[in-house]
Amino acid sequence: MIMSENGFEEGVVDKFIGEHHHDDRIDVETEISSRESFVLLVRCLKLLYAVRWLFTAKFLLRLCAFLPGLLLPWLAKIVIDNVLLQKSFSENENPYPPFMHPIINFLDGMTPLEIMFTITAGYFIGLIFIGARTGGELYVGTYGNTLTGQDEASAAENKISNGHTESGGILGVIEYWVTVRLSQRLADNVRTRLFARLTRLPMAVLSEKRTGDSIYRVLYDTSNIPLAVTDSTFHIFYALLGSFISMYLIGYSYSVSAEEIVWIAWSVLPLVFILTFPAAKLMRRINQTKRSAGSATTNAMEETVDNIDAVQSLGGMQQETEKFAMRSLESYFRERVSLLVGGALFIGAAIAVLSVCGIVFVMVTNSIIKGDMSAGDFGVIFIIFWGIAGGAIELGGFWLAVQNKMAPARRIFFFIDYESDDDHSGGDQLETIARGVEVYHVDYDYPDGRRALTDITLDLPVGQTVALVGPSGAGKTSLAYLLPGFLKPTHGHVRIDGKDVSDLDIDSVRSHIAYVFQEHLLLAESIRDNLRLAKPQATDEEIEAALTMAGCMSFIDEMPDGIDTVLGRSGSTLSVGQQQRLCIARGLIRDAKILILDEPTAALDPESENLLFESLEQIARDRLLIVVAHRLSTIQRADKIVFLEDGRIREQGTHTELMNTADGHYRRYVGIIESDD
Amino acid sequence: MVSCAAGPCSNDKKIMSTTEVDLSDIPPVSLRRVWQLTLKAWPFMRPLVKHLLILGGFILFMTLVLAGVALVGTDLFNNKILVGDKLQPLQAVVLFVDDSYVGSDIEDNVNLKDTLTAEQRGVVRDRFMIWIVMLCLLFIPMGAALIYYNIWIWQMINQNLRVAMMTKAEHLSLNFHAQSRVGDAIFRIYKDSSTITSLVQEAIIGPVTGIYFILVGLAFVAFFDPRVAVAVIFIFIPMIFLTAWLTPLIRYRALENRVANSDLTSRLQETMKALRVVKANQGERRILDRFHADSQRALDAALFLRLMIVVLNVVVATSAAVLLLVTEYLVVGWVLEERETFMGAAVVTIIGYAIWNMGAFQDFRGRLTSSTYTAGSLITRWALLQDLFIGLERAFYLLDLKADIVDPEYPLGFPTPIKSVEWRDAYYAYQQEQPVLAGVNLRAEVGSITAIIGSSGAGKSTLMSLLLRLYDPDDGQISINNTDLRDLRIEDIRSNTAIALQKNVLFAGTVADNIGYATKNASRKEIEEAARIACADQFIAELESGYDTELGERGGKLSTGQRQRVSLARAIVRNTPILILDEPTASLDAETELAVMRNLGEWGTDKIVFLITHRLPTIRNADQIVFLEHGKVIEAGSHENLVENDGRYSKFLAASQVSALSLVSHDYE
Repeated sequence: MIMSENGFEEGVVDKFIGEHHHDDRIDVETEISSRESFVLLVRCLKLLYAVRWLFTAKFLLRLCAFLPGLLLPWLAKIVIDNVLLQKSFSENENPYPPFMHPIINFLDGMTPLEIMFTITAGYFIGLIFIGARTGGELYVGTYGNTLTGQDEASAAENKISNGHTESGGILGVIEYWVTVRLSQRLADNVRTRLFARLTRLPMAVLSEKRTGDSIYRVLYDTSNIPLAVTDSTFHIFYALLGSFISMYLIGYSYSVSAEEIVWIAWSVLPLVFILTFPAAKLMRRINQTKRSAGSATTNAMEETVDNIDAVQSLGGMQQETEKFAMRSLESYFRERVSLLVGGALFIGAAIAVLSVCGIVFVMVTNSIIKGDMSAGDFGVIFIIFWGIAGGAIELGGFWLAVQNKMAPARRIFFFIDYESDDDHSGGDQLETIARGVEVYHVDYDYPDGRRALTDITLDLPVGQTVALVGPSGAGKTSLAYLLPGFLKPTHGHVRIDGKDVSDLDIDSVRSHIAYVFQEHLLLAESIRDNLRLAKPQATDEEIEAALTMAGCMSFIDEMPDGIDTVLGRSGSTLSVGQQQRLCIARGLIRDAKILILDEPTAALDPESENLLFESLEQIARDRLLIVVAHRLSTIQRADKIVFLEDGRIREQGTHTELMNTADGHYRRYVGIIESDD
Repeated sequence: MVSCAAGPCSNDKKIMSTTEVDLSDIPPVSLRRVWQLTLKAWPFMRPLVKHLLILGGFILFMTLVLAGVALVGTDLFNNKILVGDKLQPLQAVVLFVDDSYVGSDIEDNVNLKDTLTAEQRGVVRDRFMIWIVMLCLLFIPMGAALIYYNIWIWQMINQNLRVAMMTKAEHLSLNFHAQSRVGDAIFRIYKDSSTITSLVQEAIIGPVTGIYFILVGLAFVAFFDPRVAVAVIFIFIPMIFLTAWLTPLIRYRALENRVANSDLTSRLQETMKALRVVKANQGERRILDRFHADSQRALDAALFLRLMIVVLNVVVATSAAVLLLVTEYLVVGWVLEERETFMGAAVVTIIGYAIWNMGAFQDFRGRLTSSTYTAGSLITRWALLQDLFIGLERAFYLLDLKADIVDPEYPLGFPTPIKSVEWRDAYYAYQQEQPVLAGVNLRAEVGSITAIIGSSGAGKSTLMSLLLRLYDPDDGQISINNTDLRDLRIEDIRSNTAIALQKNVLFAGTVADNIGYATKNASRKEIEEAARIACADQFIAELESGYDTELGERGGKLSTGQRQRVSLARAIVRNTPILILDEPTASLDAETELAVMRNLGEWGTDKIVFLITHRLPTIRNADQIVFLEHGKVIEAGSHENLVENDGRYSKFLAASQVSALSLVSHDYE
């Protein structure tokens, strides 16, 4: 399970860091440099543009609670000094900051009870509007996260809908609402974009793309984006604002010995940074490992449940359980490793900060023992020290903290950047297909380098029915995939009406081609919706016509809900032959100029097959119909038969022509079928 | 499926998926139900109970030590270092300082003249710091280790639950799976099951300690002024009513949120699986719109659940704070008029709070704040618990489902050697109104090949599923050597039966893994031999790493015909007495098909072989041909017999040939 890939010695450290891709086959180079990490952060920040109004609103709402919040410690001081201890305002040893002056002037001259009443009234207003003094001494904030488990997947929802605010009252609810929406919009924008890109992945990589991994990326990785964005803007800003205000206050009210405190507090910044920066790479790496382990667990789960019929009939339940259990354990372990490393770094930084605290402690107590400061000053100085150091710690540890979010960001942007069909849009529009398709000296190699097609030259005019024939593995499906641009030729050209497919807008090409696959994939929706996937605006008449032509009405009529029957998962309530006919109907409804049927009748009985081809003949006159087939009955109907072997065209012509070729490949092929018939 | 997301479902075979959440589906909240759920969660915690106790012990120990340290430390710091009072004898002992640091008259702490010198204060300060550093060195790693330990324990508990749910999902009948969504299983196993990790802390420890703190706090408050304590209770009565009123709504939102997120997961899984079809049909836009709509629905549900909790929170916190403000104002008045506290006079010898003063004010306010805050957080916890229990309900819903196909209580031994397999009056319907099998009678003997033919939808695959006990017949029986399958262990039946499925499912793994998937300990030699029989050896040899080539999730590197042969080899390698081949050669070319059938014929002489097929060459070689139509056997016999009969089979033969003939004429047009 745990293997080191790049020839590193397989030591304890490697085991601890773990494998960087568990069972992923596309995204295998997961290492990122600091520079790439920075670029990713900038890309995350660009996502802010789409939510700029929400962000501004959140920013201002926070300010609305932040500014009045500055008054609170001073009001508390007034209650103690001027109400309980009944001092007068003129007896105050340390000056109030300027923003307190209007309030002091207002309160000056009142009796203690009157002051208390006024302040209580002020508190009351603050309470209702910004939730001042709910709970603890100042605020407790507004917090609505639900309970989660000790794993990334279950924590995702709280990260996406994260709305922790520091205010309460009416403003708290509004700010909470805005914050959740801001966070949700950020996550939703990026996950919808990732989803859209995944649906546009080129056909050649689809078989390598694992469904569980897609789920993990779209649902769980994207949940970290809002945090990445708000951590690096909002939190930094308010932490620094807090620091500067503390500095201002210390300068104003406690000018004595304040300068040293300020310097010491700021020294925390480089200290934390130097301590945490070298660990950034480790942190990214560990987070990647954790995520790929999570993906692998999701893959195991998804594959088992999705193929449950195979698992049960092959008796593979126990082995699937073991696989899932092992991967789930591994992913839990990776979660803990991530926590452990994060925790160790946190403790390291905390010890550093505490040492600095110790220095301040010694300094202040020295002054107190000497009598330069009063005992009461201790608390004040420490509060102010923390006010400044808080921002410094935030900024110093920022780079490390953001790494945990750059690991998922990399996984998201990897597929957003991955080659996609969109890269081929924007070319010339293909209005219609008048003449047909020419395949010109085409070679095609699989991504792993194996040769699939060699020097294919073919003329496929509209109006013909062409059968692609040959032993399995000969390259028939690969050849058919070239036409709608599912595969791009390695060499040579595919031209439609003389225009190279690679120069055309890929969507406009596909809008003229209907492709029916060998595997029958139906969505768990109604029959009507399954057909509407191919043609959203299809009328009921069109749907029925297509279903009739594909021979589906005989079994649909028996269903109580007719075409509104909702299919089970993958159409599993239907027999395979019925699924196949529905897929053909879905191909037919598009009314496309080119219709490609890949083994359309493999699961059909001969009678259904006859009916199907009789109806196909009606529509094939002004279309190009390409059929990949093994059955003689199907093959013989074609105007042209193309015989493929080992990725090359061996022969082409009509059935009669090819049968007349002595020693021909096709003839031998048919001979095998007929000798047995 | 979704409509009974968390509650008991009707036994109807047909469980339709809807996306609306019905309020009546929300499981009832009652102490009884909560207790039941906790009991159900217990088996998953039991294996770790030792660790939980150790953890609890350590936490208790640390809490006590830290409380002691805090008590002594605060006094040392505030009164001795900052102010300069003399030390208590015990403090002098732990700081290793001589008697000159200790106050001469311990009773008389107020004697301000008896203070530490500046030098002594420095010494006390330094030794105090050494203690703090030492305690940090001890407790920080210990605390971190305990956090890690805690997480490990709860992860393992969650792991137990996850694995149990997964096992259950694997054993539920295909009927269940046909109607449920893959994404829903993923959501339940990940998200719903994780609620178990908060159960003990949030549902038991949290409320108990919370109530304890409130009571102690209120007693303290009552000691100063019982009217305030009564006021606290009074202000929380409407809060409790408000919470009770909101509870069903919160539960509704919680369920809606979970259902919406589960649907989103399902949508994503279904789309990602069917991407090729989406692409071929240019459904990307439509699929994206739907994803977006589902995503929005999930986000809205998450927001509204949270808003509900937050509003409740804010109302409770604000009301409590109003009470605090009013009390604070009144108490300040009492301090100013130096009024007597309620019980103060009784304990004046211990604490100097006989009259309201600043210390009393601060202490009183602290206690009052913390008890109202705890009470408020209990209400929040209550709201969160609603979500927790909805999640647990959903997790246990899956576990509580009764598998319809179970082992008999007293299974019979599997009959060996197998002589015959028989279907007697077998009826089966996926949906009540549409029987798929309507009284099938069929018998197959060892050493024979039975071909099952018929139009698609005639019930051929279902017939075979009954032999594997993937479903049980609604009526009639299936037997091996005249023993009803329902009297045998499912494990025994399936380990004696191999099937090559019509859908060529491959699993992620190597070619060899895939062939050996269902056979424990299959040797490489056996795998290669099976591949040879299935005519897969040649193309496998040409793959980059031969038998060790990794196959994609859906086996995408292979052509359909190649995949079919791998799945054939998978059935062959098991070498079981019963072999079922469901359309084994549909995607094979004629040459390969012939070779495969020839190999199978040689290999399978001591087995009972069933073939589902449409292809004549394969059919003709069978010992017995069974023609299935509308769920009934309408003809059975050898090829020659059936041709003589001139019945349905003859027509079928004619159809196969007509298609060939009509084509020849088409060519000459």
